[in-house]
Amino acid sequence: MDVIESDLPGVGKKHEVELGDGQVLVIVTHNTGQRELYLKADEDADSEKLLQLSDRMARMVGTILEGAYFQPVESEHVETMLSDDTLLEWYAVDETSPLVGETLASAHVGRETGVTIVAIQREDDVLSAPDSGTQLRAGDTLVVVGDRDSCEAFEALLTGEETEE
Amino acid sequence: MADLLTVGALFAAIAVVSILAARLGTSVIPLYIVTGMLVSPTVAGELVIAGTDVPAIQTGEFVEIGAELGIVFLLFFLGLEFNLERLVADRARIVSAGTIDLLVNFTAGLAVGYLLFGTPLAAFLVAGIVYISSSAIITKSLIDLGWIANDEAAPLLGTLVFEDLAIAVYLAIAVALVAGGSGVAGLATSVGLALGFIVLLLLVVQFGSEAFERLLEGTSNEFLVLRAVGVTVLVAGVALAIGVSEAVAAFFVGMAFASTSHVERLERLLEPVRDVFAAIFFVWIGLETDPMLVMEVAAFVAIAVVATTPTKLVSGYLGGRAYDLGPRRSTRVGLGMVTRGEFSLIIAAVALEGAGGTLSAAVAGDLYSFAVGYVLAMSVLGTVLMQYSAPFERFAVERFGTE
Repeated sequence: MDVIESDLPGVGKKHEVELGDGQVLVIVTHNTGQRELYLKADEDADSEKLLQLSDRMARMVGTILEGAYFQPVESEHVETMLSDDTLLEWYAVDETSPLVGETLASAHVGRETGVTIVAIQREDDVLSAPDSGTQLRAGDTLVVVGDRDSCEAFEALLTGEETEE
Repeated sequence: MADLLTVGALFAAIAVVSILAARLGTSVIPLYIVTGMLVSPTVAGELVIAGTDVPAIQTGEFVEIGAELGIVFLLFFLGLEFNLERLVADRARIVSAGTIDLLVNFTAGLAVGYLLFGTPLAAFLVAGIVYISSSAIITKSLIDLGWIANDEAAPLLGTLVFEDLAIAVYLAIAVALVAGGSGVAGLATSVGLALGFIVLLLLVVQFGSEAFERLLEGTSNEFLVLRAVGVTVLVAGVALAIGVSEAVAAFFVGMAFASTSHVERLERLLEPVRDVFAAIFFVWIGLETDPMLVMEVAAFVAIAVVATTPTKLVSGYLGGRAYDLGPRRSTRVGLGMVTRGEFSLIIAAVALEGAGGTLSAAVAGDLYSFAVGYVLAMSVLGTVLMQYSAPFERFAVERFGTE
């Protein structure tokens, strides 16, 4: 990700952030502290003004964006409540997951986390009630039942991250 | 009228037009000038409504000194925001765009000035008036239109930086020429003195930054402002006393402060001070202007507008190309540079100093009225051109393609 900084003599500074899909976010910081945000649809387009913020507002918004107040847990799942404390959740297994190549038995899913894998969606098929010898592959979607704590523990196991406390 | 009441009325008038400018979304500078003209003895003083004389505002000592301080602070800020490192880092592009701008417009100004006023000195002053674009109005328009976030902002602001430096040198020479002296020797002495003073100030900027740093170290806002104002106005006053441009002195003092670590605080704290005195300067310009005299030189103004709008369009366009911009954005650079403003008026004030000396009273008066009329026309025209840039951009793209 490239950020280009340039001076605006008599005005302040300009930062251009490439957003990846050709769009450019332009942040103009005035000497007075005021910030203006512009979006360029592509390299040659005119800048469309999104909003302007006072110095204080800009710092607060910046802190929220930085994740100081709330950091969402990285997950790609949909959850459904089965009862007050039982969830039915879908988890995607990506290539970097430590569970890729493990069987349900060797991963000790039940013992480690307390959840039960009730089905595996693999391409167009659904393997319902998979047995303990079923191997997990990248690209699988796992359908899991458990309470909230167990689900969080399973997510940590799946992504290879330590559970945050 | 009591003096305090006069000054109060003046500030009230300024406050009212600034509200009006905010409502209309236009630049305040032409409105300040018109206000000055309207409240002056030549307009308000002539009016009689329902049998009573309408009170007019006289230029008193306070307004004159206030206007002078306005010039000092305008140039001080130019120096404060002037960044030599920035100029050096981007020198290839800034110098090529800036040189084109200088050559095309200064030359055109010399020709127009000589044609209209017939003396070399008047031609030199007109050249300055038409060369220097308005940083204040252009920067405001850039922000209002959102161009500030686009690529055309770089050549526009870069060329203005070049102009700032050029105008500092120009003013030093212009003030010396207008002050004059007897014969070639006297003239050489005053120009030599002016250039010597610039060299001295450059040395102070180069080697004195530690002293400036120490001067402002660890002070409260109050003392910071007082010390900066104390140094700036004193140096400007000394310059004027020995016959050198106070504006140029203020520019270099600003540059010296710019190299300290307090530059951002100074900008923030002194901005309102500059704005108050700059407003007085613009109103004073209006007060000194007789609208009838402006009407008399209207043909001169029209000739200059017709001659020097295209020159800025061309030089700005070429400047944009020097920054590797396409025809569309280069056209915007040209349109943006058309606006003339505060610095042309400072040159007009210099011309007034020469009345009865190096310039005949008639020429000085005409030149002054011409400059005011020209700035009023160009400040409005330039802003309008920027607002309605689309047809010009289409024309450029049809003519020169998109690359």
